[in-house]
Amino acid sequence: MSKSRTARIWEALSSLKVTIGTLLVLMALVVACTLAQVNMGTLGAVNAYVRSWFVWWQVPGTAFSVAVFPGGVLAGAVLLVNLSVATLRRLELSWRKSGLWLTHAGLILLVVGEFVTALAQVESRLSIEQGQTLNFVERPREYELALVDTSEPGFEGVYAIPESRLQAGGTVGLPGTDLVVDVKRFMLNAELRRRAEGEAGQGVDRGVGAGVVAEPQAPVTRDDAENQPAAIVEISAGRSRYGTWLASTQLGAPQSIVHGGKNYQLLLRNRREYLPYAVTLKKFSHDVYPGTNIPKNFSSLVHLSNPTVPEERDILIFMNQPLRYGGKAFYQASFGRGDTLSILQVVDNPGWLIPYLSCALVTLGLLVHFVLSLRRGVKRAAAAPVVVAGAGAGAVAQVVSAVQEHAQAQAEG
Amino acid sequence: MNWNKIIPWTVGLAAIAAALAGVVPPAPSRGFDLAAFSRLPVLEGGRLKPLDSVARNALLVIRGNQSFSFEGRTVKPNEWLLDVMFRPARADKQPVFVINDPEVLGMMGYEQKATNRYYTFEDLKPHLQVIQEQGSTAQRVDSKQRTRFQAAISNLLDRVFLYYRLKNTLQLDAASLGSLLKGAGSPQAGAVFDEMASLAYFRPLPPVGTARWRSVAEGLKALMAGDAPAPALDAYARLGAAWAAGTPEAFNTSLVQLRSLSLAGAAAELGSVDAETVFNRVQPFYAGMVIYVLALLVLFTSWLGRRELLQATALALLTSGAIVHTAGLLSRIVLQGRPPVTNLYSSAVFVGWGTVVMGLLLERIYRRGVGTAVAAASGFASLIVAHHLAADGDTMEMMRAVLDSNFWLATHVVIITIGYSGTFLAGAIAIAWALRQHLARTLEPGTSRALSSMVYGVICFSLLFSFTGTVLGGIWADQSWGRFWGWDPKENGALLIVLWCAVILHARWGGYVRERGIMAMAVGGNIITSLSWFGVNMLGVGLHSYGFMDNAFWALAGFCASQLVFVALCLVPRRGPAQRTSSTAGEAAPISA
Repeated sequence: MSKSRTARIWEALSSLKVTIGTLLVLMALVVACTLAQVNMGTLGAVNAYVRSWFVWWQVPGTAFSVAVFPGGVLAGAVLLVNLSVATLRRLELSWRKSGLWLTHAGLILLVVGEFVTALAQVESRLSIEQGQTLNFVERPREYELALVDTSEPGFEGVYAIPESRLQAGGTVGLPGTDLVVDVKRFMLNAELRRRAEGEAGQGVDRGVGAGVVAEPQAPVTRDDAENQPAAIVEISAGRSRYGTWLASTQLGAPQSIVHGGKNYQLLLRNRREYLPYAVTLKKFSHDVYPGTNIPKNFSSLVHLSNPTVPEERDILIFMNQPLRYGGKAFYQASFGRGDTLSILQVVDNPGWLIPYLSCALVTLGLLVHFVLSLRRGVKRAAAAPVVVAGAGAGAVAQVVSAVQEHAQAQAEG
Repeated sequence: MNWNKIIPWTVGLAAIAAALAGVVPPAPSRGFDLAAFSRLPVLEGGRLKPLDSVARNALLVIRGNQSFSFEGRTVKPNEWLLDVMFRPARADKQPVFVINDPEVLGMMGYEQKATNRYYTFEDLKPHLQVIQEQGSTAQRVDSKQRTRFQAAISNLLDRVFLYYRLKNTLQLDAASLGSLLKGAGSPQAGAVFDEMASLAYFRPLPPVGTARWRSVAEGLKALMAGDAPAPALDAYARLGAAWAAGTPEAFNTSLVQLRSLSLAGAAAELGSVDAETVFNRVQPFYAGMVIYVLALLVLFTSWLGRRELLQATALALLTSGAIVHTAGLLSRIVLQGRPPVTNLYSSAVFVGWGTVVMGLLLERIYRRGVGTAVAAASGFASLIVAHHLAADGDTMEMMRAVLDSNFWLATHVVIITIGYSGTFLAGAIAIAWALRQHLARTLEPGTSRALSSMVYGVICFSLLFSFTGTVLGGIWADQSWGRFWGWDPKENGALLIVLWCAVILHARWGGYVRERGIMAMAVGGNIITSLSWFGVNMLGVGLHSYGFMDNAFWALAGFCASQLVFVALCLVPRRGPAQRTSSTAGEAAPISA
């Protein structure tokens, strides 16, 4: 009688051939991702090869893309299923195999952890000057169009339109006001230049943008490059028209409209996340080894002020010593402006503990397995003494035989 | 008497004794106490080191080796440095600049000669301006994108500049320190001292009172500002005058004075400076390399006859080499106050050490001579690699901020490097297997099985270490920049090794590959490990750029090509009647003595 269909699927899912095939696919992806980083930057390469279901190849001269190779997500998912099914199916539930159970559970958790990170991790940054107090962090690769109500001194009312909404275009009403923003055009990366005499404009009739032309550029993913987005928006409120504006990260001069007695500043900027607490940079230090430019340490002395808890304290953030607070971790990442500007990398990863847990499980599992195998090896050696070169090598030989027994067990199982 | 025991022991001990001979300081040369000069402490590259290290590293960078022949005698680094600093006219005539690039030579109107690749500063002098112009143009190009000419001219500019700085650290070109001291009151002195300060390569003046280590220019400027003269200034002036005039007594007297001034200023650190001088003289890794070669030669000879005696001697030599290697490694740990692996150079030294120790262990268990051969060959090979990596300069440089963590250097870096040792050892055993299988045709089935079980065991070991090391690296990354895994090239390299070891083991457990396949895959591990170790440093992306390299690309490509040949050799079935061995040995072999 032939095996049932379920049994066959079950078998295929736990097949060792699938494991090896997936591992080889992963190796190929890792190599491709590494090489691609030279031109695409880390983020671009990781998105193309690792954080995708398939690796796509754009047919030259057309807009069509063809999936040519499984991507990291697919390989990871297959490996996860394969590992889980194989563990459940092959591994007998016994003390003898407890170490292997722990190890495999740890490995599964490691893959899960990478999925959680890919889905949930948010990276932002805090660029702060000495003496400055900030209550927000910025996403380095995301943008927003903000209308900031600056009428009340010491307080900012912020209306932000996220990048996805800008990409979609169309009108957006600002809640609580009758202001409407009509997004005419959004360019993720643009180059601004002065409009030539007699050249047709882009419909911008207000602000500094009227004399400027924004030309779209290909978006960049390189680690050392940033997009410079631009948006053309028309602002109105009922019958009052406030004109068409160009907003861009490259425009330094402030642009604002007055509506209903309030002053609104128009900004295109990195997407901000406001925090329920404020951070003040008291001092940034950049130590070098005497007589050289080799950096010895970077550190930021910050003051944390959280009125909700309430909490007021000073913290020193330095290399390998981040501040973990409110679900975020602040790391010393960079610096600038003659050592007065400190740039902190801010990471929000709800799954940050998973790799620690999985590492502990794998280590524990291997240790348990090793000790159990060693004990059996010693017992066997006592029962039938093997002639091994020299007395001193006895212990080593036991370890080797334990490893070999493990191999046999694997080959049989 | 049992000569088979006495001879190996004697040879082994003699090798260690020969290696340690360098501990004894050399006798004064023509009356000059060069050993005392070499111990003088100076601050350079952020740490206190003996002038001996400055001299050796500078000569290594400029010339590519640590001595040269001039006017019929061999000039050692210390003598050379003395000439550069105090008799510049003579130093300018010494052939210390190695130039291999024909375009650079052509630019200066020289034809490339097969017999002499070394040029003097006088040869370069008329062309300094063009070297400076072309070199600084080339240096504006990103180092990864430079053409061969650009790389060569930029490198020459760096070396000429280093030489120029050394010349102008203790005195200003031809103006002796004594005359500078006398002229400190003159109105032009300020500008002269400023120029010296911008060129100073090291700081020789020991701390006095609250002052730190100072350069000669700083000392002179303080003098001009009305401070009391630093006593070491005067002593260095007399030292230089004595060397230039060729009067050993005065030379040695000023050295005694400088020694006591250093003792007064930095007594606590002087011990490690002296120890570094001894370490430099002994050159334990060079000595280890020579001993490993001897072990290999003795082993090769053993195949011709007197097998038992010669194999025991080879093992004794290997053990001596390992002892010298270990001693060198321990000295570096103590001198630097750091775990063994801190840069690419030390990783090569450590990988070699790991393979040798594991090879010795395998030899102890299996006693088939293969452990000795493989250990000696890989120890030698990795020390050769280290030797070439040392040409970049100081191998004990200070750690950049993010790497400045002894805990993670001791755990993550050491563990992952042991993983490299494991994969290389497995690959080396596989190569030995292939060579014996096809060339020597001396492989009986028992040995073949033993070798395959060795490879298997070593790969298990490497998987464990590579995996643990990689995960620890992830934890370090999470601690220092907030992400466990960032697909950085160095991380990817480590992951590739883990995946490859896992593929080998699973393929064996599933019975998809047998002896031949495992051997071929183990050799493939050499390629993957070397690419992960060196290849990613050539990509020039990522946060892990602890090892920077320019020209090793072809060496790496050649190594990988040779490994592909061995992979092919592993896969070719053996001709003749013994062919069945490769199909029967799928399971692990029993151990036998």
